[in-house]
Amino acid sequence: MISVKNLGFVYQGGKSAALDGINIEIADGDFVGITGTSGAGKTTFTFALSGIIPQKIKGDFYGAVTVDGVDTAVHPAEEFARKVGQVFQDIDSQMVASVVEDEILFGLENFGVPYEEIAKRVDRVLKDLGIEDLRDREIEGLSGGQKQKVAIASILALEPEVIVLDEPTGELDPESSREIFKILTDLNREKGITVIIVEQKIMLLCEYVKHMMVLDKGKIAFYGTPGDMASSIDTFKDLGINVPRVTELSASLISEKIYDGEVTLTVDEAEKMVRRILK
Amino acid sequence: MNLLNYVPGDSFLHKLNPVTKLLAAFLYGIAAIICGNVFAEVGLIILMILISATCGIAKRAILLTRNLFFLGLIMFVIQLFFVRDGEPLAVIGGFVLFTTGGLKSALLLSLRVIAAMLPLMLLFAITQMNDLCNALVKRLHLPYRYAFIVTTAFRFVPIFATEFHDIQDAQKARGVDFDTKNIFRKIGLVAPLCVPLLVSSLKKVDVSAMSAEMRGFELRGYKSGYKEYPFGVRDLVTVAVLVALIAITALWGA
Ligand SMILES: Nc1ncnc2c1ncn2[C@@H]1O[C@H](COP(=O)(O)OP(=O)(O)OP(=O)(O)O)[C@@H](O)[C@H]1O
Ligand SMILES: [Mg+2]
Repeated sequence: MISVKNLGFVYQGGKSAALDGINIEIADGDFVGITGTSGAGKTTFTFALSGIIPQKIKGDFYGAVTVDGVDTAVHPAEEFARKVGQVFQDIDSQMVASVVEDEILFGLENFGVPYEEIAKRVDRVLKDLGIEDLRDREIEGLSGGQKQKVAIASILALEPEVIVLDEPTGELDPESSREIFKILTDLNREKGITVIIVEQKIMLLCEYVKHMMVLDKGKIAFYGTPGDMASSIDTFKDLGINVPRVTELSASLISEKIYDGEVTLTVDEAEKMVRRILK
Repeated sequence: MNLLNYVPGDSFLHKLNPVTKLLAAFLYGIAAIICGNVFAEVGLIILMILISATCGIAKRAILLTRNLFFLGLIMFVIQLFFVRDGEPLAVIGGFVLFTTGGLKSALLLSLRVIAAMLPLMLLFAITQMNDLCNALVKRLHLPYRYAFIVTTAFRFVPIFATEFHDIQDAQKARGVDFDTKNIFRKIGLVAPLCVPLLVSSLKKVDVSAMSAEMRGFELRGYKSGYKEYPFGVRDLVTVAVLVALIAITALWGA
């Protein structure tokens, strides 16, 4: 379980707090989507979960973040990576090798995973992400979606309990974005890995995540299930975040007492709703 | 085309141990340096191109030779006017412009530069930087930190190039016209881009370092590498051939 208590952070030389009074508990096996406008503190929050903040990036750190009772501010961040894996926002710079296989080997070699185990894990993560055919390819020549899968594979190989991803679909087309979410959903469901993902495309979050968190100026402006969004549509509007139109539609149909079901989060659900109303 | 890119293949030279490849490139360079005969030097360059052909990179070798030729030309000009022994060759109004000795040593030096640099540059065509790095750490116990810095620098060249184009495109979108023929104007336009390029480059290097650290970079020792880089008969043969080459040039080419 991840527990965040009164977390605050001001970057060295930063004018205002990047994070301010964050309190949250994330259960094992959860799938949390984080959204918010640029500069809201999303990246900073993910860094706090993996211990990069305050260990690698300096600034004023307040409060505490613990993962299974281990304090991320104290426990050496590089070892912590085996518990909480971080996929960075900048896809190209986070790569450390030029060939896919070497990229995946890197962490395994460093952490001294036994020789036979390394071979197994590389095979397994390549298979889990469906990129067996990319094994010997140069990373530079891959598409954005493929690179992203390599980045996820190299973290997954370390078998973390939590994987934190910072806008992994930022530069991807809708098709590949969806594919990344599907892969993460499978990992979450089948391996019980806790997934925490920063994502701007709210439709994707509504469809795949279990909990949603909206950050604004370093504070939590919303936290709940995607279904809870319906009751906070005004909050979202104030923040300039577009709630999916199907959600907005169903919420107003419910408040007008035209429809008595649940709010709809996807187009498919909305279609069913409309059919039911028309019957 | 990037002249330092890796070109996949499974030729004899491709399959050598990366350490052997590096050593072989150096030995070839030594042969070029001790060689004191213009014709033998030309021979070494041609031989290198022929060797490249066996790994399917003859075209690359020829392009590199051409590029190195310009470097050679600079060396040639400098040497030509500075070495003054031998007979005067070009005399203008009683002033000796250059001499036979100058011409000979200029020719030799420029060819030597080409012959010595060529194998080192071709090394990158048949060696993955990662393999070279890991092999140097594993076999020669070079500190991983330094090997990593060198490979990362190489990896970042194309990333920086893309970054530069992005920034340039952003400027173009604002109406800056980079397609000028005037070199000074071009420099004037490109120079201001260096600051944003530097800033974003530093950020990228930062992320790279963080990503490496978060995957246990600090814990790595020379034993950590997963891949073994054994030496084989192939490596022994290569080194023997190059030692012989040095002996031959020392005896007849000096
Ligand atoms: N290294 C830094 N030094 C100083 N201030 C920083 C640094 N990194 C981020 N900040 C500031 O902290 C605040 C939060 O930044 P953060 O990167 O966490 O936002 P974000 O939500 O991830 O934004 P984006 O969507 O653009 O990635 C911003 O005001 C930003 O300017
Ligand atoms: Mg961010």
